[in-house]
Amino acid sequence: MNDRAFLIACTSMVFAVCCSGAYAQQQVIGAPPEASNMRLVGANDLQARSAYQPTIQHQGDRWIAYIGHHGGTDDIPAPVNPQTGKADPNGTSIVDVTDPAQPKYLRHIPGLKGKYEAGGAQMVRVCDGKALPRGDRNAVYMLRTFGGEAHEIWNVADPANPILVTRIDGLKDTHKSWWECDTGIAFLVSGAPDWRTRRMTQVYDLSDPANPKKIRDFGLPGQEPGATGAVPTEVHGPISSGPQGNRVYFGYGTNKGGFMQIVDRDRLINGPKEPTEDNLRFPEISRMPMSAFNGAHTTFPMRQMPIAEFAHDKDGKTRDIVMIVDEAILNECNEPRQMVWFADVTVENRPMMISSYTVPEASGSFCERGGRFGSHSSNESMAPVFYKKMAFISFFNAGVRALDIRDPYHPREVGYFIPSITAATDKRCVTIEGGERCKVAIQTNNVETDERGYVYIVDRANTGLHILELTGAARAAAGLP
Amino acid sequence: MRRRPTAFAVAIFMLTGVAGSDHARSDIEGWREIAWPFPRDGWPAGRAFRCATELCGDEIELYVRPKIGFCNCDSGVADDDEVDRVADLDLMSERFVPVEPGKVIRIADMQGRLRSYDLQMADGSRHTAVGIAVSRRCDLLVAVAQGKGTASGVQRVALDFLALDAVTQWMTSALDGR
Repeated sequence: MNDRAFLIACTSMVFAVCCSGAYAQQQVIGAPPEASNMRLVGANDLQARSAYQPTIQHQGDRWIAYIGHHGGTDDIPAPVNPQTGKADPNGTSIVDVTDPAQPKYLRHIPGLKGKYEAGGAQMVRVCDGKALPRGDRNAVYMLRTFGGEAHEIWNVADPANPILVTRIDGLKDTHKSWWECDTGIAFLVSGAPDWRTRRMTQVYDLSDPANPKKIRDFGLPGQEPGATGAVPTEVHGPISSGPQGNRVYFGYGTNKGGFMQIVDRDRLINGPKEPTEDNLRFPEISRMPMSAFNGAHTTFPMRQMPIAEFAHDKDGKTRDIVMIVDEAILNECNEPRQMVWFADVTVENRPMMISSYTVPEASGSFCERGGRFGSHSSNESMAPVFYKKMAFISFFNAGVRALDIRDPYHPREVGYFIPSITAATDKRCVTIEGGERCKVAIQTNNVETDERGYVYIVDRANTGLHILELTGAARAAAGLP
Repeated sequence: MRRRPTAFAVAIFMLTGVAGSDHARSDIEGWREIAWPFPRDGWPAGRAFRCATELCGDEIELYVRPKIGFCNCDSGVADDDEVDRVADLDLMSERFVPVEPGKVIRIADMQGRLRSYDLQMADGSRHTAVGIAVSRRCDLLVAVAQGKGTASGVQRVALDFLALDAVTQWMTSALDGR
């Protein structure tokens, strides 16, 4: 070995010793996925589009995944659709997942031109025409956002050939809406132009999707047109328990100053509608402020949960629980940790946080991997296969996490899956000393489950869709064969 | 007649750190840095200054801090409602009423908006406040100034202060995470 070679070897060794700790967990193309008690069944690259919300619909004898996308990236504002050869602004991917091992990409519906949050069609919900009170029984309706400008409803009975049914536009923003398929009532996260907040809620009767009927605008007092003073945190998304439960759980905030608000659904729909301070307060049952460090992306209700530990107590054997998921928004841990919280809302006017969950950062050096680390969302399916037993949390560079929530006072991680990166996985950058430093890491953005027990995760950094199933102890905890 | 701060005073400002309220106090002619007076909230504390000389016309306090990742990356500070939401007015009082439509401003190569308010304090007194929000990519830089003078006077004093080279350099550094 000559001097120069020796010097290079020594430098390499020093670099390895100094830096291996920090970068040992950095993902590389070709490395296998990281997993515990979860297994990859199938995947699709979703045309390398940044993915937000997946919804899985059982249509006849088929299972169809509808996946909303953010806008394009600086490098690729409108990826080429291989089916047409044309550049499409990111919109909605429709994938046949009947055979989860061989997902078939059916169609891409373009969304609003624009990059990142400014374009695309991030959100999607689906209702069967047979379920809706006044729907076409032969139709399957997909509700999606169109960037921040509009909500659209498409007939996707033939998912490879969707047809636009209607459009609600003139908005300044949109986000994660909720649609009750049995009543048609929709809580559309919108930005009415005259409201003081970017996002509020518009309640619509979409029981006949071809003829949307607006019921009212809703938000927190202080957000309404003409109000003065402090403006409360904007809504992120609601989840309704329907007419039987008569509650709507609203999450406000993203990664700061969040609220969980419990609303009387009947009062919301049938109460006075003029957006005055009193009328906005009328349907509210309670509002639980969170730490200024956290926001509420998802407020997932699980009512009447039997708690084994309390089984012999004379009162309080069952509890109404809301799982609250914060959203991390900054790369490489440049914010307080965003995580998962469980609130006991049995006594509705005195909700209380009872437990929390986060991925241990040290388990993967996640603050150093690149991109966001922290929670984003949970599955929102209430199908019996997992409801009140298992919850799945998308955790950006820590992949998806399977939680045993049968005792919500002590949630326990029982499995995880972090997909491999690919050549399509986009970089994530931070500003260091005035310059940009970028890394490539998986960014599991959202997760959904189907009634068969498959888990669908999608990647914000363009890596696509991964279809998973539980194995081992996690499968046993869910009660799956 | 109002005078601009001296280069010496600016240099003193530059010697102070960029973090919150625990760094050394500094004086710029007419202005004195004070402790960040608000309880911890979702954002790290910023820097607070008081001017109590004839240079400012009346006693004025100004609070400034970055809010990283809090801005729409594409539209920036889009409208007056956004200034209402983000400009830290609520740290002083939840009760504020805009007195006029806002206007577009530019500070340190960052574009945004400024709006004046009538601020009702907890003790019932009324102050004039000026909310300022400018953006760089997905990040915000917000400032709020309050005093007992006219809205135009508070605006002028606040913008003069924020336009100082030393202050703009600090704001840029703070947005860079330095």
